[in-house]
Amino acid sequence: MITRSDLKRVMEREPKFDDIMLSLRATGKQPKGIIEEVRQVVAIARKFNEEVTRPGSLGLDRKMHEDPDHLAWDFVKKANDRGLYTMFLPKIFGGKGYNLSCVGYFCEELASSCGAVANIIGVHYLGVTMLFSSWNLKVISRICKDIVDGEKSGEPCLLSLAMTEPNAGTDSQNVEFMDTGSLACHARKIDGGYRLNGTKIFISMGHMSTWHLVHAYTDLNKASENTVMLAVKTGSQGFAFGKKEKKMGQKGCPASELVFNDCFIADDQVCIDNRDTAKFKRSIKETNEQIFAYIWGASRMGVGAFGTGTARAAFEEALKFAREHELDGSSLINQEWCQTLLAEMYKNVLVARISYAEATYANGMHGLWRVINFKPMYYLIKYTPTALLSAIFPRLSQLGFMTTLFRKICFDFQSNDEMDRVDGWGSLAKVVGTDAGVANARMALEIMGHAGIRQDHRAEKILRDSKLFQIYEGTNQINRLNLFKRLIMRQTPQAKVFSSTNL
Amino acid sequence: MTQPNTKELQLLEKASSEFSKKILAPEREENDKYPFGPYFTHIIDKAYELDFFHITLPEHTGGIGHGIRAFCLVLEQICREDSSLGGIIFTNALAQEIFMASGQHDFLKNHCEKATNPGQFLLAFPSLLNPSETSRLPLARRMGDNYTLSGAMEYLVLGGMTQTAVIPAVIAGDMECSFFLTSLSSSGVSVGEPVMSHGLHACPAVDVILNDAKGILLGEEGKGMAYFNKASGTMQLAASAMALGIMKGSLNEAMTYCGGRVQGGRKLKDWSAMQMVLADMTIQTHVADMLVQRACQAIENQEKDWSACVQAASIHILSAATHLTSDGIQSMGGVGYMKDFGQEKRFRDAGHIQAMLGHAQLKKLRFIKQFL
Repeated sequence: MITRSDLKRVMEREPKFDDIMLSLRATGKQPKGIIEEVRQVVAIARKFNEEVTRPGSLGLDRKMHEDPDHLAWDFVKKANDRGLYTMFLPKIFGGKGYNLSCVGYFCEELASSCGAVANIIGVHYLGVTMLFSSWNLKVISRICKDIVDGEKSGEPCLLSLAMTEPNAGTDSQNVEFMDTGSLACHARKIDGGYRLNGTKIFISMGHMSTWHLVHAYTDLNKASENTVMLAVKTGSQGFAFGKKEKKMGQKGCPASELVFNDCFIADDQVCIDNRDTAKFKRSIKETNEQIFAYIWGASRMGVGAFGTGTARAAFEEALKFAREHELDGSSLINQEWCQTLLAEMYKNVLVARISYAEATYANGMHGLWRVINFKPMYYLIKYTPTALLSAIFPRLSQLGFMTTLFRKICFDFQSNDEMDRVDGWGSLAKVVGTDAGVANARMALEIMGHAGIRQDHRAEKILRDSKLFQIYEGTNQINRLNLFKRLIMRQTPQAKVFSSTNL
Repeated sequence: MTQPNTKELQLLEKASSEFSKKILAPEREENDKYPFGPYFTHIIDKAYELDFFHITLPEHTGGIGHGIRAFCLVLEQICREDSSLGGIIFTNALAQEIFMASGQHDFLKNHCEKATNPGQFLLAFPSLLNPSETSRLPLARRMGDNYTLSGAMEYLVLGGMTQTAVIPAVIAGDMECSFFLTSLSSSGVSVGEPVMSHGLHACPAVDVILNDAKGILLGEEGKGMAYFNKASGTMQLAASAMALGIMKGSLNEAMTYCGGRVQGGRKLKDWSAMQMVLADMTIQTHVADMLVQRACQAIENQEKDWSACVQAASIHILSAATHLTSDGIQSMGGVGYMKDFGQEKRFRDAGHIQAMLGHAQLKKLRFIKQFL
């Protein structure tokens, strides 16, 4: 029928088989044990929703309306007590070791109850994602230990990701914009570390985090080639919290301003800088772009899952309302227009879930957690006693060559096609999931009529919460351009994106 | 813009525009805070002085007797900056329209003449409700020449800041509702705390429990829906004018921001993808503006299809405003989501206004049924 060479040639045509058949390809590659892990993390999230989020989320929203400076430590501590902040830390770093392929399903479940509480937990893993994208095992090991110790002591240790600046939103997230943009967070190399100056804004959970993963630039005129990732600890001299933003929704999760004023960051808190990125097969700028692709591929998948969760929340509230109410003399659930709207909402949820699931497979096969999803590695970690792992790996992580080895695998063994797939699907999942969240919340309000605009009926809160997901981690407009860049543009060699020629 | 066609209308537009920019806008964020109240009394007092609550009230009842065009014009200007006051003006005017539809002109005149401040003058009304859509209206019982009302009246707008309300209730044995005037401070009336709502935070609503509360019938028994349909026939255009004002405010703020904000070394307004967003917003705003004008014209000329014209315009604009205000936030990125700017409030207010005068989906069904 078809020769081997023809098969290869035809499958590499656009759309490439490997790009569009992720779940099919993952069927054989993904360790089977992940299915049971997904089942478990969904159950853990549902239990947390039942016991903590559902009973408390409307009250938290109301409290935040009354007192925008309130910090929801009670929710954080309950999440910490239940071990939710160490769930996805690998066992080799002392965590519970749930596979990162479960994160999306966990995020959806949390967000199906409350967008703010989902962030209170999920944003921590955004920080974890950024930390792991550096593959600096020494820093990873140190920070993971703090998180694990925080769980044991009952004093939560959370991570935040700090990228956005007052004059640089999009500029801080795309290497193409960095050199012409308005970045201002400067890191100056000095003996023993860096001196950090500048301001970061819109940092989710900033005020409640212990460690902050900060992107800064040693040359603001050529930031794309001079990016450093620093781990800054709350309480460091020269680091202060600024204002908390007054948000429309997701009020329980603070958006913080971080202010650095001659803040000294020691070398052992430098996650990655040019001394490291110069060592790989790609140029420094390309490696920086690759780090972003690792981060966005994973984190935007997670935001897509959050969006899916809010879409589901809206659907479930609308369905409940339709079951319980009459309108115009008959049961709402039996009115055909309502049934079609509910079907549309259900469809949106499923499509959004499929999108982030595909993005999850992309990450598992080609992205941030490809190493631990490699079957021998997965089963080695899974079935080696935790005591043995924690006795060996922390020592191994202190050896420089381990970091070099992991970085070599992650940076040099990832092809450009794989990078495109991970980052492109991250954007796609983010756009599909978060647009579904807003669309479903709108439809819920339409089904519920004037009851929908009451905070105590939840739908209006879901709409407020869902809107933010379309904005953060790159607006959906930017993510559409990134999707074009990663999965469409290569069919057209003359095409450019994120360029002044696109005006 | 809803074009004023007389000198008087131009003056009204100027007054409402200046009021909106100078008095409403500076206090928008403060007035949006929860817990709601104390309400912006001095702003309402000023609006009362400027006769914003008397616009559609006939001259013989103490009003200034303008038509729907003038009313739309004022609401549009006010809702550019803060639709909460628009919601107060709208709700009071809707209750006044019920009075007039029921033929109670003298009653209304008496009410207006006795009032010495907005609290006494303004009328509370469930302005998000179309009484025909619910089976849970309060029950009314005849007691000689009077009536007593019992049951729950949910989301009574202005109920926490006025002394008098117009309430729909069903008289035992009747199929259709009737409207009653009731004092909110009388015995048998229990007024709840302000309801926490999606938008229009400074246009408070409360849930009210009636327990044999005294009610005065407006017009005839069982004619409530006839009065409501007559009143809402034109008032739905007023709701659209509120949405139009929100759209203009959102567009203006987005244009200003995109004209100043630089990303990638270029102003946002220079990026063609952003131009598309702004173009969609501008087109929708122009379309909404034209629809309001056209519908005003249809009402003024009493064209034979004026009602369908108003319904179509209203359904379109109320929906368009929800989409446009979402883009209004999106065009500003993170700051659009924050309370420092007006965009997030406009987003909420647009969603809130879409629920006025009844269920948005049922409005569409009722619209098409007249052509089937």
